[in-house]
Amino acid sequence: MKRTVPLLITGIVGTVLIVSVLIPPAQSLGEDFSLFFDIIAVFAFFLGGGNLFRIHLKKVFHRKEDYGFSIVTLVGFLVTLTIGLFKIGNPEGISGSITAAGSGLQTIFVSIITPLSSTMYALLAFYVASASYRAFRAKNREATILLVSAFVILLGRTPLGMMLTGWIPEQFSIFQIPNLAVWIMNSANLAGQRSILIGVGLGVVAMSLRLILGMDRTYLGSDK
Amino acid sequence: MRIASFGIFILLVFGCGLTALAQDDPIDMVESEIVLPAPASKVIALNHKYDIGEILDVSWESSTSDPELVFGYIIYRSEGDNKFDSVGAVLSKINSFSDEELIPGKSYNYQIGTIGASGVALSEPSEPAIPDWELFNLEMWNIALIGFIICGAVIAYIFSAKAGRKLFIRKIGGLEALEEAVGRATEMGRPILFIPGIQDMDDVQTLAAITILGKVARVVADYDSKIMMPVSRSLVMTSARETIKEAYLSAGRPDAYSDDMAYYVTDEQFGYVAAVNGLMVREKPATCLYLGAFFAESLILSETGNSIGAIQIAGTARPGQLPFFVAACDYTLIGEELFAASAYLSGDPKQLGSLKGQDLGKVVAMVAIVLGTLAATLASAWDIEIMQKFLDNVMLGIFSNH
Amino acid sequence: MEQFGIWLAALLTIGIISFLYKDNILYKACEAIFVGVSAGYWFVTYFWDNLYRKFYLGIQGAELSDQIFLWMAVALGVMMLTRLFDKIGWLSRWPLAFIIGATAGLYMMTYFVSNAFVQIGATITPPPSMETIGDKISFVLIAIGTFCGLIYFFFSKEHKGAFGGAAKVGIWFLMVTFGASFGYTVMSRMSLMLGRFDFLFGEWLGLIK
Repeated sequence: MKRTVPLLITGIVGTVLIVSVLIPPAQSLGEDFSLFFDIIAVFAFFLGGGNLFRIHLKKVFHRKEDYGFSIVTLVGFLVTLTIGLFKIGNPEGISGSITAAGSGLQTIFVSIITPLSSTMYALLAFYVASASYRAFRAKNREATILLVSAFVILLGRTPLGMMLTGWIPEQFSIFQIPNLAVWIMNSANLAGQRSILIGVGLGVVAMSLRLILGMDRTYLGSDK
Repeated sequence: MRIASFGIFILLVFGCGLTALAQDDPIDMVESEIVLPAPASKVIALNHKYDIGEILDVSWESSTSDPELVFGYIIYRSEGDNKFDSVGAVLSKINSFSDEELIPGKSYNYQIGTIGASGVALSEPSEPAIPDWELFNLEMWNIALIGFIICGAVIAYIFSAKAGRKLFIRKIGGLEALEEAVGRATEMGRPILFIPGIQDMDDVQTLAAITILGKVARVVADYDSKIMMPVSRSLVMTSARETIKEAYLSAGRPDAYSDDMAYYVTDEQFGYVAAVNGLMVREKPATCLYLGAFFAESLILSETGNSIGAIQIAGTARPGQLPFFVAACDYTLIGEELFAASAYLSGDPKQLGSLKGQDLGKVVAMVAIVLGTLAATLASAWDIEIMQKFLDNVMLGIFSNH
Repeated sequence: MEQFGIWLAALLTIGIISFLYKDNILYKACEAIFVGVSAGYWFVTYFWDNLYRKFYLGIQGAELSDQIFLWMAVALGVMMLTRLFDKIGWLSRWPLAFIIGATAGLYMMTYFVSNAFVQIGATITPPPSMETIGDKISFVLIAIGTFCGLIYFFFSKEHKGAFGGAAKVGIWFLMVTFGASFGYTVMSRMSLMLGRFDFLFGEWLGLIK
């Protein structure tokens, strides 16, 4: 009961959705699933959010290291929840959109979440530099190919590429870096992309079949 | 209905504008005031194939009037009572229209209004047509056929393995390193960090990550090591807990399991990354596993992992993020290898059989590429007609997505 | 109020950037705020968008079949919460099994068609302009690269001899792809940081006009 029913559910639902692609009256099942998923996800959040709350409360309660930051997290969580659920400061009241301009939630989003998100994202500039340093110390043939390809594309996207190779005569213009970059993007790059995508397509087929046939079932836990 | 009215409005405004411009010429003005354009003819309504019986395809022969003076067509629909209502409008170069959201089994006929400078000329009504639904989308026969061959091969190999046939699978570097990486963490007395991507359970890459987690958690339980799994989706947390718990139970160490091994952080992409980054530099895991769907955070995480000297194994099916993992991690599972990982790690002959079936799919793909490319090259280089026909009718006929 | 918002955003920006030097109290504070506020924000979004708009407004005046359908989703959601109770916690596996089965079934076909099928079709479809020798070489090269790439992913055969050679060519093509992606992304990542500096020195400090 504890594992057989879920296995049956996985098998039946999976099979129905595979076949639905070929059956016009069943083609909207994918969208229906998406709606189901969205609603289940809200309930799951009670577990996730509850867990976040519990972990930080426990940290504060037991005065663990850095518990002060847990207080900050809890306050941030509860304040946002209160403002958002009761639509505090919303110019259109409780019936207005949660993202209405000037609403409390929108202010939180613009003043706190947006700068934090953009800065976290911007850290990539430094990380990409350190990763480039590592990748560009070509240790073997494969790394050298990666390096050359990246370098050509990088230069091809900047005026430097044309400055360096603009002197190459027209009949050999393919060797001008910007042209070479376009050629790499549209040929060798495409070949690599396609082999990855075809492989992924086949990999998903095999993995899905293993799940639907109940061969891979660790995600269901045990009978106990 | 609102869209149809808006379309008609635009066409009429467009028509009137042109009429006003044409008024500079007195002859045109006289003609446009008196003569209606020739109406459209041969209006046919047909059932739309392979839908759920809610669409009719209407087509007609364009007006024979000077195309410059025809501004468009209005589509009128009647439900059998000869009362026609407009349901849409198209520009003059178009002579077909799909009427959607109809009632299956009900009879409809259509009339086309040709919009000219001086008014709308109506065509003869079409014969009645009934929208109907079909049980199978026969247009997708090719997808069904190839899908059937590949799925059949996967299942056949699974049964073949079940029957005891020995199947060879080569060693995959990144996966061979997995156990070693867990062992290293145990030796160093430091935890293992498992990041299942940032997508929810409705993403196949997250499913792949959870299936791999089962095998990794089993090794962790066997080695009595420690696993940390911060997640960005509540549902992933729930499934991860079930998976880790099952691994600890099957390792005979249920007491060592704790719900705190997998915990929710936040759904926000970079909020999650900020927390994982902090966790990495504070807890200094010896092994970091990034398996699943990753976006821009792939590099932030793997570079931070690099800075703390962790062994890093990554895997994703997103080609855009693979280069960053390749640059920053010790091993990277590329695309298909991510989906094959759980079968490979299980060592279960039946699951390994599914990888064989997958390979048969690759053989189909490779044969198609060789034949298709050969045919296209011969057809284009030497104008061999039979090759062009073979390419168009056979190869592209099979590998086209309707 | 606007000034307060700018100052807050500037402090948070500096706090996050400071992580590049090392983990510190300001970063920890930013991290704590980020996690708490964003988790709350997402819950609010889920609540109003999914539970209120899609479910509550969805059942208003809907046909009985649609109402039953939506209530079934809620029933599965509620089953998810049984995890909180030891004795009936196993019921939470039902919605999980439903999601996993549906994801596997739905995406099996989607990926098969959009990844495998379409890509094979695209590889054997000659480009509209296949006139110059360069076009023909590119067309054949893409096919060879894709073919060898697939050999690299082959699991049933050891990468040895001619097969190994083809797999090696496959990995070279993959490396070109990775390099191309890498090179393509570097510039855009740099502009992200410039955007944050622009905020700090322009909007906040007013040094850049």
